[in-house]
Amino acid sequence: MSALLEIRDLVTAYGKIEALKGVNLEVQQGSITCLLGPNGAGKTTLMMTAAGILQPRSGSIRFAGAEIAGRPPHAIVAGGIALVPENRLVFPNMTVLDNLHAGAYQRKDDFASDIERLFIRFPRLKERSTQLAGTLSGGEQQMLAVARALMSRPKLLLMDEPSLGLAPLVVEEIFRIIVQLHGDGVSIFLVEQNAHMALKVAQHFYLMEQGKVTFSGTPGALAEDEVIRRAYLGSAKA
Amino acid sequence: MILDLIQNSFDGLAMGSAYALLAVGFTLVFGVLRRVNLSYGPAIMVGCYAATWMSVAFHSNMLFLLGITVLGSVIAGAYVERLCFAPHRQGSAIAAMVASFALWMQFEEAVTLVMPKHLYDFPPMFERGPLAFGPLLLRPEALVMLACAIVICAVLQFLLTRSQFGLAVRAVIDAPVAAQLAGINVPRVLLLVFLLASAVGGLAGWLIVSTYTQVTPMLGMWSTLKGLLAMMIGGLGSLRGAIVGGVALGLVEAHSQWFLGPQARDLIAYLLLFVLLAWRPRWMTIQSAS
Repeated sequence: MSALLEIRDLVTAYGKIEALKGVNLEVQQGSITCLLGPNGAGKTTLMMTAAGILQPRSGSIRFAGAEIAGRPPHAIVAGGIALVPENRLVFPNMTVLDNLHAGAYQRKDDFASDIERLFIRFPRLKERSTQLAGTLSGGEQQMLAVARALMSRPKLLLMDEPSLGLAPLVVEEIFRIIVQLHGDGVSIFLVEQNAHMALKVAQHFYLMEQGKVTFSGTPGALAEDEVIRRAYLGSAKA
Repeated sequence: MILDLIQNSFDGLAMGSAYALLAVGFTLVFGVLRRVNLSYGPAIMVGCYAATWMSVAFHSNMLFLLGITVLGSVIAGAYVERLCFAPHRQGSAIAAMVASFALWMQFEEAVTLVMPKHLYDFPPMFERGPLAFGPLLLRPEALVMLACAIVICAVLQFLLTRSQFGLAVRAVIDAPVAAQLAGINVPRVLLLVFLLASAVGGLAGWLIVSTYTQVTPMLGMWSTLKGLLAMMIGGLGSLRGAIVGGVALGLVEAHSQWFLGPQARDLIAYLLLFVLLAWRPRWMTIQSAS
């Protein structure tokens, strides 16, 4: 396995406040990698910087060997990264089908068969394909956000808290889909608050606290209650 | 009396379709960027002046002048977008608006430097006078205005709902960050919308100056005011509203000019806006542009 995504000394700031204070991490080709940490640790900032929505102040992000830090989001999508953003962010006043078409915006080839396949994977979306996305339930919107991201045929899928605010059954469904996608060969970099679920599916995880990676290892490397404590509360010295 | 009503309504409808086009251009920019472009009218004025200059120098034909007006408006519009709107994308809406006011002044100074007379003749759309239908008089210009408005609205509707560009525009209106994440080049879409709006505005400008057959530097302010007024009457931000607002403005102006005199015309139009703003009916809330 080699590093598909390699982040070195990444600093992203909002004005004078540094949200990322020199982050180092790697996502291996073909893995599910998980990033855990308490609220305000900088997880979403890291995702938004990797997707090109936020500009880093310094540091490097290499994807499949090429430097992508500071490149515009559409170029990063073209390179093969898609982000399923926090709180889903579907296009609420567009139909489900138009949402999927928007996800395929850069594709020049025929993507009708992709939509067919996604409709098999997400039958609820097929039932509601002509409905406005804003009228879907939270879980359905999350499915749609994932499906939209897949329309660009990413090599790396970034997911920012896909289980946030969803009922336990829907969370299980989301994680089942994550495992399926991984089986199809998509590498996944996942931000989660739900450490228990995340540790079940991930091959590697990072703990992030106050803008820095404070622990890195495989799911057995740290007792789960210790991980959960730090993921929710931060370490005691903080 | 009935004849007057019919005649005024037709004249108002024709002028109203030119206002509707002005408002549609305004609304495209406002709907997508949520920014007011005060330089919208002045950019149209620059296009009209470019065409006037061509006609003074070469006595060009009217379709060529239409092309020059639209091209001039689009170039001036691109200049406004680059200077006022592209740098303030994440910043303050007020900053963009004030910057566009500065360019308005710049445009007015520039055209009066190149063409210093207060008033220039613009070649008429048609040499012939109005057509008589019994007791009613139809100006052929009015029919062209009406036809242009209908065609442009149909084309825009098709573009926004059926094309790949329209998909991108709707996505940007709906959720700009999600549009970026979907791989849409948002700055490019915004520039294209701006250029499209300027082209529609340029067409409206040509319709108006070749009907009134004269051009003054006041045309810039006039176009911004009429476009803004029609957009606000129609309820800020929807294309359908812009069309309704433009036609309503044209009708109100035509009738009040006839029955109350030319001085009352603008008074009544602003009174209408005042009443609508004070009353604020449900359809006057900000809507999406599609």
